[in-house]
Amino acid sequence: MFGRTVSYGLFWDFAACEAVSEDQRWILSTMHKHGQELITLLWRILGNEQDVCDAYQDTFLQLAHYDRGQRPEHVKAYIFRTANNVAISMLRRRIAQRKRMSAAIATGKNAAEWRSGEYRPVAGSPAKELDSKYLQESLRRYIAQLPEHLRNVITLRDLAELSYAQIGRILGISAATARVYRCKALQLLTMWMGKEEEK
Amino acid sequence: MTGINKNNKCRRIRGWLSDAISRHFGPPTAGFNRNPALLGDANWLQKHIANCPRCQRRLVSYGKVNLAISAIKSQPHKLDLLMCANAQAIGVLKHSLRRAQKARKLRTIRPEPKLRERFGKYASSTANMAACIAIMLLMKFGFFSSMDTFETQGQKVIKQYYVSRVGNDLADEIFPTDTKLSVNPKNSVPLQ
Repeated sequence: MFGRTVSYGLFWDFAACEAVSEDQRWILSTMHKHGQELITLLWRILGNEQDVCDAYQDTFLQLAHYDRGQRPEHVKAYIFRTANNVAISMLRRRIAQRKRMSAAIATGKNAAEWRSGEYRPVAGSPAKELDSKYLQESLRRYIAQLPEHLRNVITLRDLAELSYAQIGRILGISAATARVYRCKALQLLTMWMGKEEEK
Repeated sequence: MTGINKNNKCRRIRGWLSDAISRHFGPPTAGFNRNPALLGDANWLQKHIANCPRCQRRLVSYGKVNLAISAIKSQPHKLDLLMCANAQAIGVLKHSLRRAQKARKLRTIRPEPKLRERFGKYASSTANMAACIAIMLLMKFGFFSSMDTFETQGQKVIKQYYVSRVGNDLADEIFPTDTKLSVNPKNSVPLQ
C-alpha cells in the first residue's frame, strides 16, 4: 500500500516535472536569442572565461526557477538585470579575495624583508599606470563600488552597448533618467580614478 | 577678482566636460567641434586648461576612464565561449530540456556577427557605388534632356531663319513635316 503510494507519488512528480519542462522550452529560445549579448556583457564585467560561464549558468538557473517555472513578463529585462547582479557579486568576491591574498603576500614579504633589513615601501610606477590590464581592473573595481542604480546604467550602456531606450525599458526608468545616471556614474568613476592617480 | 573669474571658468569647464562626456564620451574637443556655440570658446578654454592644474587633472581622469572602457570593450573572448557557457547552463536544466533538439544546437552554437557588422566593411564601397550610379543617372537624364532642348531650339531658330529669308513653303520642304515645329512666320522675329 505504502509502496504503491510512493510509486504514484513518483509518477505524479515525474509527470509534473515533464509538464513544467515542456512549458519551459522558452528558456532555450531565450538562450538562443539573448545568449550572445549576455556573454558579451558578462565577459566585459568579469574578464574571466570560467566566471562568465558560472554567471551565465546562474542567470539561467534563476530564470528557470523564477516564480515556479513561470515565464517573467519581460524576459530580456529579467536576464540582463540578473546577469548584471550575479556578475557584480562575483566581481566583488574576487576583488575581496585578491585583496586578502595580496595583503597576506605583502605581510609575509615585508616580514621577510624586515628581518633581512631590506624593507622598502612599494611606490606606484608610471609603467603600471599605462598598463591596460591594470586600468581595466581598476575600472571594474570602481564599477563594482558604484551605487546600484548608477552601476546598472553604466554596465548596460558602456559594456552591453544597449541604447538608452532599451536601458530605460530594462530598468523601468525613462531614457532621460538613464542619461543622467550615466553622467553621474562617469563623474564618480572619474573622481575615483583621479584620486587613485593622486595617491 | 582673478580668483573668482578662474573659479567661474573652472565651473563652466566642469559643466562642459560632463556634458561632452555624457553626450559623446570622447575627448571634449569632439564635442566642441560639433557644437558651434562651444567652438568660439575653444581658444580661451584651451588656454585655461593649459594653465589650470585642476582642469588638467579632470581632463586626464576623463581620458583615463574612456581609455579603460575602450580597453575592456576591445578585449576579445574565445570563439567557443558561448558554446561552453550554453553547455554548462543547459547541464543544470531539467532532463527533457537537456534532450531537446534546440539544446543540442545551443551546445554547438558559435557567435555570429550581426548583419550590420558583417556587411559593415562593404558599406563604404556600396555607398560610393550608389553615389556613382545616382550621378550617372542624373547626368544621363540631364544631359539628354538638355541635348533634346538644344536640338529643338536650334531647329526652331534655323527654320525661322529660312522662313524669314526664303519663305514658308521652301522652309517646309527643307525641314520635313515629321519634325514639324510650331513656328508661326507672322509671329517670328527676323534674325539679323
